[in-house]
Amino acid sequence: MYQYDTIDREFLADRAAEFKEQVERRLAGEITEDQFKALRLRNGLYLQLHAYMLRVAIPYGSLNATQLRKLADIGRKYDKGYGHFTTRTNLQFHWIKLREAPSILEELATVDLHAIQTSGNCIRNVTSDPYAGATAEEIDDPRVWSEAIRQWSMLHPEFSHLPRKFKFAVTAAPKDRTAARVHDIGLVVRRARDGTMGFEVIVGGGMGRTPYVGPTIKEFLPANRLFSYLDATLRVYNRHGRRDNSYKARIKILVAALGREEFARQVEEEWEKVGPNADMPDLEIARIRAAFAPKTFDTLVNRSEAFETAKAADPAFARFARNNLKPHKRPGYTIVEISLKGIGDTPGDATSDQMDVVADLGERYGQNDIRITHEQNLVLPHVKLDDAHAVFQALAAAGLATPNINLITDIIACPGLDYCALANARAIPIAQDIAHRFADQDRAELVGELKIKISGCINACGHHHVGHIGILGVDKKGEEFYQLTLGGSGAEDAEVGKMLGPALPADRVTDAIDTIVEVYLRERAEGERFLDTFRRTGVAPFKEAVYAEAH
Amino acid sequence: MKALTANRLDDGEVVFWNKGAWVERFADAELFADAAGGEAAEGQGKSQPNTVIDVYLIDLIESEGLWAPLSYRERIRALGPPNHRGHGKQAEGGAAIEALMHATGASRSTGRVNLIKRK
Repeated sequence: MYQYDTIDREFLADRAAEFKEQVERRLAGEITEDQFKALRLRNGLYLQLHAYMLRVAIPYGSLNATQLRKLADIGRKYDKGYGHFTTRTNLQFHWIKLREAPSILEELATVDLHAIQTSGNCIRNVTSDPYAGATAEEIDDPRVWSEAIRQWSMLHPEFSHLPRKFKFAVTAAPKDRTAARVHDIGLVVRRARDGTMGFEVIVGGGMGRTPYVGPTIKEFLPANRLFSYLDATLRVYNRHGRRDNSYKARIKILVAALGREEFARQVEEEWEKVGPNADMPDLEIARIRAAFAPKTFDTLVNRSEAFETAKAADPAFARFARNNLKPHKRPGYTIVEISLKGIGDTPGDATSDQMDVVADLGERYGQNDIRITHEQNLVLPHVKLDDAHAVFQALAAAGLATPNINLITDIIACPGLDYCALANARAIPIAQDIAHRFADQDRAELVGELKIKISGCINACGHHHVGHIGILGVDKKGEEFYQLTLGGSGAEDAEVGKMLGPALPADRVTDAIDTIVEVYLRERAEGERFLDTFRRTGVAPFKEAVYAEAH
Repeated sequence: MKALTANRLDDGEVVFWNKGAWVERFADAELFADAAGGEAAEGQGKSQPNTVIDVYLIDLIESEGLWAPLSYRERIRALGPPNHRGHGKQAEGGAAIEALMHATGASRSTGRVNLIKRK
């Protein structure tokens, strides 16, 4: 992974020291809350319902064991022994004291972590493929470009006060695990016929109040021209983004208002002015690329006898292997997905002890490489099939072996009104209730791939718009109600879900999900996922079944 | 009936006003039967910006013979997160906590309207 140099490390230490002084001045009453709030948000510190919340950036969802252990340690020392992994592949601590926050930043800095640009109208953490460097599908390692974007966007003076926040996703595989089409900018690595590497540039996707699947504004941008083009795109946005109305300030609104062609034309015009001097030198990209040089893999055969024997002897492991192990590019290796969606648990939460277990496994069996997915799970991208059973057993002992990746119980949920000051309704108990209903793994596997995503407010941190089944908590005359959408997707076939009908009270949501699943099982043709069936039948049979029961 | 709430500056803890002091338990909060009393306390509370932030009045209802915040948002603040019953003020247990847990009736937290923030 990318290594910070002395300058990076000194900067982070300085930044922590600076924040310490700012907190001291605030606590001494030397600066007002209005003056201080912008400073604390610049360091990822929000005030939530019960305490302060610190959002730690995990650049493109990539950690080593030392960093994960540090997060575990901070959870133990400054929180209540746990942390919450988010849909932006960050980690949030929910019980932080302002007076202790500077010490946490100091500790984070010792392992090259921080909370900079996890809040505010700036370029936020880049989302990348959690299988980067491990999947045979990719045409390049998207972490190279994600890291280059991190360096370019970090403390970028021109883009530190954008009209609104700005999120990148970078993927290099046809199977999109980053939700690239619902980011402000999604970059998909492409290769031209002559072998030149470049990007499909998607701009103006997003969720929230006004969801859009982003249009492609450039089919093929040569890779060596990436940064001048990004400069041009951000400049057009910075100039014309709606600073007068924060609800309309995201780039998606500008792109939709101008139209794809006109927005693209303005970017091209600006790009001409920016010129190639703004591009990152090839040498610098090569330097970054070296940090992601392919790991040293043992030469193994495809079939692992130890793996096959363990599967035959241990049905629980066979199930885990079926659902949580994904193909690796190297023979004899596998990608291990670790579900943070234990039945009845809080989606995305991991205890400090669990983080330590994953760190140990990553170090011992996984080339010291740990990833966070935007679906709030963890990944060990490089595990030998020979070791998979040992990894499974250790995960199972820590309550981390739930075999439900991409199944109906692998639910995304934002913290919702259990913690969040913005929420209108709770998301966590809805997720827990649905998970209990579908706890039978045989039934969950029978249903197959079905992504439920739950947000506690319209800001859509729980990605409900792109859930195969999306659930949005709303406040209806003061009561928690839930609006269901069907047919959304955040993957390469991105689509915004369609509204099923009137919002349902909390105690009817799980029954409605059950009904929707039954309709799917009744209607599905051979080999169809829920999404395929929905796209074929439309909303009608689902709506009829859910609301018929309401009468 | 109303009570005055805020978050304590130095640790973010949810606190309630009681006769010039900020207390952690909702059960210890001062209750205001009339608007004037509540508004006077709100004025005093807001004059302590280096002790607390986000000061506002909340509406109360009766629950099991005790008073509870009307809105579920405020009940969650007074209790702690429902997903971890061992975390926050609810961990203490007892009749006052039980009354909050059993309270029904929901409404927006009226006093908070001016504080509602976007992300």
